[in-house]
Amino acid sequence: MKSRFLTTAAIFAAATTLACSIPVLANDFDRDHDGDHRHPHNIHTETPIKHLVVIFNENRSFDHYFATYPHAANPSGSIPFVPKPHTPKVNNLANANLLVNNPNTNSANGTGATDPFRLDRTQANTKSQNHAYTPEQQAVDNGKDDLFPKFTGRGTAGGAGAFGTNGQVMGYFDGNTTTAFWNYAQHFAMSDNAWTDTFGPSTPGALEVVSGQTNGAVSIIGTTSTIADGQGGLTLINDTDPAYDSCSSTSSTVLMTSKNIGDLLNDEHISWGSFMGGFDLTLKNANGTTGCARSTLSTVVGASTADYIPHHAWFQYYKSTANPTHARPSSVHAIGHTYAADHKTLDPANHAYDLDDFYVAVKAGHLPAVSYIKMPAYQDGHAGYSDPLDEQAGNVELINFLQKQPEWRETAVIITYDDSDGWYDHQYLAPKSASYDPTADQVNGPGKCGLGVSQQPAPNGLNGKPVNGRCGPGTRVPFIVVSPYAKTNHVSSNYISQASVVRFIEDNWLHGKRLGGGSFDATTGSIMDLFDFDQDHSHDFRTDALFLDPTAGTVIVSPPDEHHHHH
Amino acid sequence: MHSRTLWLLGAGLLTLAGAVFAVETQGLAEATPSGVNPNPVHLYRPQIGPLSAMAQLGKAIFFDASLSSSGALSCASCHSPDQAYGPPNDGPVMLGGANLSRQGARAVPSLTYLERHPNFSIGPEKADDDNVMDLAQMAALGQQAVRTTKTAGGTGASANIVPQGGLFWDGRADTLQDQALFPLLDPNEMDGGSAEIVADKLRNAPYAPRFIELFGAGVMRNQRLLIAEAMFAVARYQVEEQSFHPYSSKYDDWLEGKAQLSESELRGLQLFNDPDKANCAGCHTSAPSRDGLPPLFTDHQYEALGAPRNAALAGNSDRNHFDLGVCGPHRTDISEQTQYCGMFLTPTLRNSARRQAFFHNGVFKTLEQVLDFYNFRDTNPEKVFPRAADGTVQKYDDLPPKYHANVDVADPPFNRHLGDKPAMTDQDEADIIAFLKTLTDGYKVEN
Repeated sequence: MKSRFLTTAAIFAAATTLACSIPVLANDFDRDHDGDHRHPHNIHTETPIKHLVVIFNENRSFDHYFATYPHAANPSGSIPFVPKPHTPKVNNLANANLLVNNPNTNSANGTGATDPFRLDRTQANTKSQNHAYTPEQQAVDNGKDDLFPKFTGRGTAGGAGAFGTNGQVMGYFDGNTTTAFWNYAQHFAMSDNAWTDTFGPSTPGALEVVSGQTNGAVSIIGTTSTIADGQGGLTLINDTDPAYDSCSSTSSTVLMTSKNIGDLLNDEHISWGSFMGGFDLTLKNANGTTGCARSTLSTVVGASTADYIPHHAWFQYYKSTANPTHARPSSVHAIGHTYAADHKTLDPANHAYDLDDFYVAVKAGHLPAVSYIKMPAYQDGHAGYSDPLDEQAGNVELINFLQKQPEWRETAVIITYDDSDGWYDHQYLAPKSASYDPTADQVNGPGKCGLGVSQQPAPNGLNGKPVNGRCGPGTRVPFIVVSPYAKTNHVSSNYISQASVVRFIEDNWLHGKRLGGGSFDATTGSIMDLFDFDQDHSHDFRTDALFLDPTAGTVIVSPPDEHHHHH
Repeated sequence: MHSRTLWLLGAGLLTLAGAVFAVETQGLAEATPSGVNPNPVHLYRPQIGPLSAMAQLGKAIFFDASLSSSGALSCASCHSPDQAYGPPNDGPVMLGGANLSRQGARAVPSLTYLERHPNFSIGPEKADDDNVMDLAQMAALGQQAVRTTKTAGGTGASANIVPQGGLFWDGRADTLQDQALFPLLDPNEMDGGSAEIVADKLRNAPYAPRFIELFGAGVMRNQRLLIAEAMFAVARYQVEEQSFHPYSSKYDDWLEGKAQLSESELRGLQLFNDPDKANCAGCHTSAPSRDGLPPLFTDHQYEALGAPRNAALAGNSDRNHFDLGVCGPHRTDISEQTQYCGMFLTPTLRNSARRQAFFHNGVFKTLEQVLDFYNFRDTNPEKVFPRAADGTVQKYDDLPPKYHANVDVADPPFNRHLGDKPAMTDQDEADIIAFLKTLTDGYKVEN
């Protein structure tokens, strides 16, 4: 897709003009009486977007959710999905003619060799695949993309009712299961060229989306999932819990020493927050669980799982943005802010809150400029303990809620992922970010992710020298923008990555300031192609909303009642 | 159905579920004379809906006898819908093979109440990280933990070092899908021949078009996938079909305050829950889960109880043949963990009053025999085990002597000794059996 604007500068110029012409009643936004706690509506932005909400889900590849988009199988008794006319073609398995005669029928995959196959809605509860840094590199096999069953096809089992088979990594869902996401794509904008910045599982992804950097790790307890970066430091390549978090592992923890986007927002006094399911340790769940052990039953998976997972807790890895004791904000007015309502006392929460706090803050008129959302684990989408149906319910409930707020008309929601789980995706990109660790890197040969040290040096790490451990882009993941300013039924094929979220925040609020220290924010693509800031938004904002049924994912006409539970 | 509203309703009532748990662990000392649960709860049962296309396909396969070599056995033959999906006759094991003359290796477990069954694991509950452990690593961790005595209402179960979860008596299948294939191919059961033969039958079955509709035409060319999908469909039938988990017993109604237990049944429940008496609930959990789900009457853990050898099993004519459960011979992946030899999965007791084959080898035919075993194994072993020619009692005669140390002598009532007073009187046993009969599904409230 070609952007209607030729340069980023042009986008900003156009957008800024438009932002001023949008008819917004000031009293809609006058609910925040915190004086120099600046309301996001009054903060200068390069686009009309005054609020960004990033829903960071878990472990799905692009083809795994969109392999046949926009065509679902619609078997009898299913929730049928009927595509809109003129839906653009996306880069998926169907359009690449890879549903049959797929290279993963390669006999090297042994008993896992198979063509891709459809997963039914009744198979939403599946095993999880292998998504470690090295096996994911081995699966892409130097661009042949033909060894997924062999290297990422090993799964954990997932409960008595789960579906699992050899070669399951080749399974994909369609709009009969991921109905809501297909509907959002039909009405808003989606990328079919969005990537994890590096290979590997949750923690690297959680770090990339807030800092664009996995170098600069420091082991605090035990052996961590790091490798030597070749310059005397460490790069994190797999999962490890954040140090000092009261819910973290007692045998292995790590801290990161780079800057993250929270630091830059703090410098400019722009409100932001991390909102994670299970973060508030003072609550008691309906099932009686408390503290770090709060858990919720998934009736799809047939088991309860802990709400809060420390190794997903992005900002907890950095001293400057951590809230290791999970301290509570001093008041709802302080949510999003560094200081308490008195503007003098540091707020104990330090921008880290529970997902429940998000609902409370928004209802009180305190939607921060930037919000990072992590669903309680049973709704985060990670196969094995969560599933696409619980994920859909959590995402839809949140977006339905946001669409009813006056702030919606200048809000953008991004739905994207920390990693692919190892699920098959057919698209290969030669490494943009090289790495040459003798054992960890395997993309185009032992010790190789890139053309070689002399031809393609590894990217600079935190200290300005080339470091290992950042092999990427890793895997292609879904990336959907839901916003009144999102293009309609649009698919962008501009290259973007998790760090593009960081870049958008910098471009929109921080005059394009970058984190530095080798962060991918400086080199990744822009998500501006997913927006059309030229649209006429003088009409009723509700026409820019799409309310969905949280269970079925289907379009509903009127906004539903609020059902979000508070413990 | 508006599931979110339903969820909220469930959540509100869960608070109440805590109440009965407390009552139960106190042994119901305050049970009202009327026999009604003084602290009724709402039980959160699985949602009921029409069978999906997948489950309908699974149902067709579940009842398809043409998949067996005899042409006479389907899944439903041994897992009879009329017998709570357990065996339909009084044999210790079922007969299968081409001529229906070969004994199955073990008593047929019920297929009911498996929808929440956890995967096989050993040791403390694992954190949700993405690092996968193998069974040897789990077993090593399990060895570090301290074994706690399991008592009704106690917290010992969660910290235990024994294996838990998994299907079959030895936990060798994690999912219902994996489980379904074993009897289909077992020469002593459905004797399906081979994957090739099964796949060929599936391709030509009247329900074959369903496979294409659900999975695309490619599934017919991929034998492994075709079988996996077929077995998943069977599993899905078990998950969706209400009769596999109706939770419609008199006890469920009693928990919800809708039924009265008789004096004998109430006494039985008390004894069942009493750590100093039968202590059944130490393993056969009788309280609703913390999420308000009805009790499953199993903690999904493994126990070596040392049940007597069953001479009715043909394989036992070989004196050197022993069924060691978790460590073999049917399960082969952790045979080196000999501390688990002789351990078998604790089954649900729901609908147990309708069974006529108890324990893995079907050695007991009645609940009376089972209760006698618990009561007298240690105090009066001569009532349970045979005597050798020299007159000595052959305690644990179905386990090689080197594994006798694996047998549970810690959890009541198995902590008693030769000549001690048995834990239960005849009346106690009768009352417990009266209570066990309240666990039979299909109870209709009178008037």
